[in-house]
Amino acid sequence: MLDEVAVPSAVSAESIKIMGESIGISPLGDDVARELAEDITYRLKNIVQDGKKFTHHGKRKRFTCEDFDWALKSKNIEPIYGVVSSEFIPWRLTSGGGRDLHFLEDRELEVSDIVTQQLPKLPPAAAVKCHWLAIEGVQPAIPENPAPMSKNLQKQEAVDPASKLAAAQADTRNTRNIHGRGLKSVETVRVKQLATHELSAEQQLYYKEITEACVGSDEPKRGEALHSLAFDPGLHQMVARLCTFIAEGVRVNVVQRNLALLIYLMRMTKALLDNNTLYLEKYLHELTPSVLTCIVSRQLCLKPDMDNHWALRDFAARLMSQICRHYNTTTNGLQTRISRVFCKCLNVDKTPLATVYGAVAGLCELGPEVIKALVVPKLRVLSNKIEQCIESPSAYEKNAAVHIKGMLVKSVPPVLKMNRNPPDLLTDYKNDFGFLGPLLQASVIKLRQTPGVGGVVVSAPALAPTLRPLSTPTPTRILHQSVGGVGGRALVVGSGGQVTTTGGVGVAPSPGQKLIIMTSRTPGVQQGLDSPQLVSAQLPLGEGSGATILSPTSTAAGAALPPGAKYVLVKTEPTDDEYGM
Amino acid sequence: MDDSDSPTYASLAPANPTMVNDLASVDLPSLSNIPDVNSNGHLPSAVQSPLSGQDVSSPQTPASLDMKSDGYSDMDKSTMIAVIQFLKRGNLKSTEEILRKECGFFEPVDVTDTSGALGEEGEVLAAYKSDGNPAEYQDAFKALSAFVEKSLDAYKYEVAAVLYPVLIHMYLELIYNGHRGEAVELLQNCSSSIEAHHADDLRSISLVTSRAQMAGQPLLNTLLSAQYTCRMSRDSLAHLKRFLADRSAGPVPRIIQDRLNIDLVDGQPRTKAQVLAVQGAITGEAPRSANKTKIFYGLLKEPELQTVINEEEEAEDDLDKPKKKKSKKDALQKNKKNDPNAPPANRIPLPELRDQDKQERARIYRDSMKRVTLSRDALPSICFYSFVNASNTCVGGSVCSVDISDDSSILAFGSAESILSVHSITPAKLKAMKPAEQLSDIDKDSEDVLVRMLDDRSGETQRNLMGHSGPVTAVSVSPDKALLASSGQDGTVRIWSLQTWTCVVVLRGHIYPVWSVRFSPHGYYLVTGGHDRTARLWTTDQHLPLRIFAGHYSDVDVVEFHPNSNYVASGSSDRSVRLWDCSNGACVRIFTGHKGTVSAVNFSPCGRYLASGSCDARILVWDLGGHGNALAALSSHSDTIHTLAFSREGTILASGSMDCTVKIWDFAKVTEEGRDEDVNATTSPLEDKSLLLSTFPTKQTPVLSLHFTRRNVLLASGPFNG
Repeated sequence: MLDEVAVPSAVSAESIKIMGESIGISPLGDDVARELAEDITYRLKNIVQDGKKFTHHGKRKRFTCEDFDWALKSKNIEPIYGVVSSEFIPWRLTSGGGRDLHFLEDRELEVSDIVTQQLPKLPPAAAVKCHWLAIEGVQPAIPENPAPMSKNLQKQEAVDPASKLAAAQADTRNTRNIHGRGLKSVETVRVKQLATHELSAEQQLYYKEITEACVGSDEPKRGEALHSLAFDPGLHQMVARLCTFIAEGVRVNVVQRNLALLIYLMRMTKALLDNNTLYLEKYLHELTPSVLTCIVSRQLCLKPDMDNHWALRDFAARLMSQICRHYNTTTNGLQTRISRVFCKCLNVDKTPLATVYGAVAGLCELGPEVIKALVVPKLRVLSNKIEQCIESPSAYEKNAAVHIKGMLVKSVPPVLKMNRNPPDLLTDYKNDFGFLGPLLQASVIKLRQTPGVGGVVVSAPALAPTLRPLSTPTPTRILHQSVGGVGGRALVVGSGGQVTTTGGVGVAPSPGQKLIIMTSRTPGVQQGLDSPQLVSAQLPLGEGSGATILSPTSTAAGAALPPGAKYVLVKTEPTDDEYGM
Repeated sequence: MDDSDSPTYASLAPANPTMVNDLASVDLPSLSNIPDVNSNGHLPSAVQSPLSGQDVSSPQTPASLDMKSDGYSDMDKSTMIAVIQFLKRGNLKSTEEILRKECGFFEPVDVTDTSGALGEEGEVLAAYKSDGNPAEYQDAFKALSAFVEKSLDAYKYEVAAVLYPVLIHMYLELIYNGHRGEAVELLQNCSSSIEAHHADDLRSISLVTSRAQMAGQPLLNTLLSAQYTCRMSRDSLAHLKRFLADRSAGPVPRIIQDRLNIDLVDGQPRTKAQVLAVQGAITGEAPRSANKTKIFYGLLKEPELQTVINEEEEAEDDLDKPKKKKSKKDALQKNKKNDPNAPPANRIPLPELRDQDKQERARIYRDSMKRVTLSRDALPSICFYSFVNASNTCVGGSVCSVDISDDSSILAFGSAESILSVHSITPAKLKAMKPAEQLSDIDKDSEDVLVRMLDDRSGETQRNLMGHSGPVTAVSVSPDKALLASSGQDGTVRIWSLQTWTCVVVLRGHIYPVWSVRFSPHGYYLVTGGHDRTARLWTTDQHLPLRIFAGHYSDVDVVEFHPNSNYVASGSSDRSVRLWDCSNGACVRIFTGHKGTVSAVNFSPCGRYLASGSCDARILVWDLGGHGNALAALSSHSDTIHTLAFSREGTILASGSMDCTVKIWDFAKVTEEGRDEDVNATTSPLEDKSLLLSTFPTKQTPVLSLHFTRRNVLLASGPFNG
């Protein structure tokens, strides 16, 4: 009813006075201003009410300037020219002197710039695309249709299984809609019955094809299969099977020491993690041990001194950090448990060096806080071990020691830089870290000398012209980058109002930082129904899609988290439900 | 059709003054409405085209004037003076001069009413003048609402219906008499006792805070010109009268006496659900007297097609021919049966079938043999046509309207950037006609002359039509696919030829944006509805409307033809659906019950049922055999419903909405035997969750159009808002 109207908006008498002054009518009497303000409010509201009809017939939800113009025209009033906005009017708010002021930011443009600028591309023409929304009453799970079960729903189910029961009791029809007509509505509802794990013939076929392709020898086919796993909606019914497949596969192949297959399985895991229609919390009991195995297992290949099992360990470590970031909650304490496993492996005397490497890699991926708390105290012991082994006659031990050293020298200095005060004296480092001391000290000093360390603020105007795709008028701004946060997170704001934090991303060998700048979706950019694929294909190029990667512009603190980059980009999709469309 | 005494097209021509007068006299509220609407500035100048700003004195402008200028010779002087007075008042000098010149009427005319537009308005508003004590209003209303609250449940809900009109008229009386503070207080304190669906109107009314503002408010005009109707049983009325007798002084009895039209009904008082089901329209319920006319809702007799079908059949492969033929014959027999509810075939003149039409009918027929039978166990397949790069934010402008031709071969859509785009959705290309010199070479008697006159080389899959100067609000493809009608916010309706790909006629008549246009299922006729609160019936061979359906109290947002072309349904922002008779222009049904702007209407293929969807996200189903009561209320959507479609055999209803879903409803169950027998005032509409068969969400694509192909595949379309 009427009291639901939050604050009745009105033009204030003060505004009228200011407007009067601006056109040279002053002073305006209080009574006059009040009378005018009231009348203007009334007329504005009437026009807006009329304009809503135009919004309705334009089949839109948002009221635009054009609607207002049309309402004026229908009242035989000259419309206001020059105020056009296809989407929204970016009102900005400023406050000072105890008053709030809303204003429209009107930037001054150089005419010469506009003249010399390249002509913007023509907007793509409207086109018609067709797909099956339903086939005999069943909605096919194709990218053009929304995911049968949204990620939020999956999450809710995983967190609170009882919700499913309640929902089922409330509306059995709903489940029927999700599964199409295949599922019979059951009158007596029991929890176990609801967890149907029947796969249709097509799904079984798909499962067979996908698993074969993922571990087969045909690389292009594997690429397609992984792409399908990473982007197809509607996999949630098969995730359980796929996770079991991965778990079983890892178990068998670790015994067999089949490095290639383990890599394939980890890539499958990565694809599943990347699929933003899936919520995998329910399946972590299978995924986590498999990934952990690939990080810290004693032996992953037949010839440990020759094969590059280090890459697998690195990759799996990154996966693990991805899992922790997505699914760590206070209830499951995932990260704590994982860290504990890694710490156990750091017991240098008992564990083989490959395992130690895995543990170090795993911990380093988990971010600077973890490094500071768990790796730095062990540095002394580790460097002693490295010192022993690096001189060792065994090629395997020597190789392992070099790898551990490399990993430590890459990941630890940024943390040390933040936690130790200059001056960085060689003797201190030697005392604290033994053999690795000089190396660490050298890289810390190098880090300190690099400009731009600390809070990096990149001013938008410098970047915007080169970045701006097509003719979008939306400026891009990076608001700030915090220093002490986990992983040196940069807060990046796109003009569309999206805010995200990105893991500070440094890529070896040069500890550079990648900035990920999000712009709002540009009007007029071709976004066909296949845009998810399109986005993924163009990610590294940073064109055409909503996300743009900059090449290293400055160095920064932060743990190296290359997969973080991918993750952030995936998250540039507006929301889970929208699925990149 | 070859009867010599059957009506001809000419008999429907607008120049026939008796016909026009008939039409005008049909709807009394509309008559009382029009003058004050004109004078108060809401329709500022009847003869001035508001969008072009030009004076248009040609006969394309409103029919009411137009008729007069047609027959000025026998028109009486006083009417002429009134028209000229009106023109003077509107300061339309050039129009006045032209009119005087054309009529040879040069007597001086004084504008006696110097107070201008406010004069008449003042008279209407003066009814609000009262010297009542402003303080007693709130107490009086509180007493009324306390009385309603304490009433027996049997009477409570019927009596409660008077609260809303009493409140708003009290408010307006207070405002008129300058007691602004009391008025605002009254509305603040008492609006909680009003049903929630009146909130929008209350909000509009509450904007009016001074006497001067009362003049221009469109909603207020409606409230002044039309009495709010409350239907009440004899017992409830007696109950109410007892209360009024106790407090014979004060504003409440006066307002109920002056402002309310109480529609007395014999029988039991209605329950809460029944009362709520019919409330919602701006003017309350439809009076029962408005819904008494018999409606010929049956389908017209199918023309004789046996010969065509047999010919076609011979041409076809004759595998398992005997079986086919038998079933066809049965079906044909069935078609020929005379429907007792069908209108006489010559009730309105329909175009004679040409050979190509007969072939088209035969094709429809053959397709209907092959179509899938849909039911609650056999749901349809849905093919979705999404428009990419056509969302709200795209430079090319958003798609506002979509239509698919009856044979599902052409998809036309209109955009906010005034462009109409026609796509072929079959492999067949869109061909243009050959140039004139080549056309003359074609043998006109040859059988395939229609194919030959098209230029094969010009085949394209998509063509743009440009001509509108505002968003294209609706498109409709004629049943023979030769013409395309489109309506625009620029106030024009355009008819385009799909053979020459040009605009062939611009129908001017609506003086404000036109919201909807539909071709009749028999071709030839088309109906439009617009912001000027009228729906108009046109034909393809004249540029003047044949009928003006006036009566709605707000914009006519959507129109649709009955399958037998004798009736037109219109949905309006006054939250009612009206059914109009094309033969005499009368309003034969007023359906109330929607709580928001009616945004979609459609008839079932059998012609008996009408489904309407609205901005309140509900679908109501009406029985044309009954007397204006809803048969079912289907609610599950969460946003405006923009389109409704019935499967070809009428067992399934599909609805598409702004909430980006297509929902499938079990219409067979709605119309089940037994239910449709005795729908009257005492039954409440069926509201059953099991009527919803399925929901198909789309990906951020509002559904603007739904269309069942002849074989019952559902085609949906909408712009993708990624």
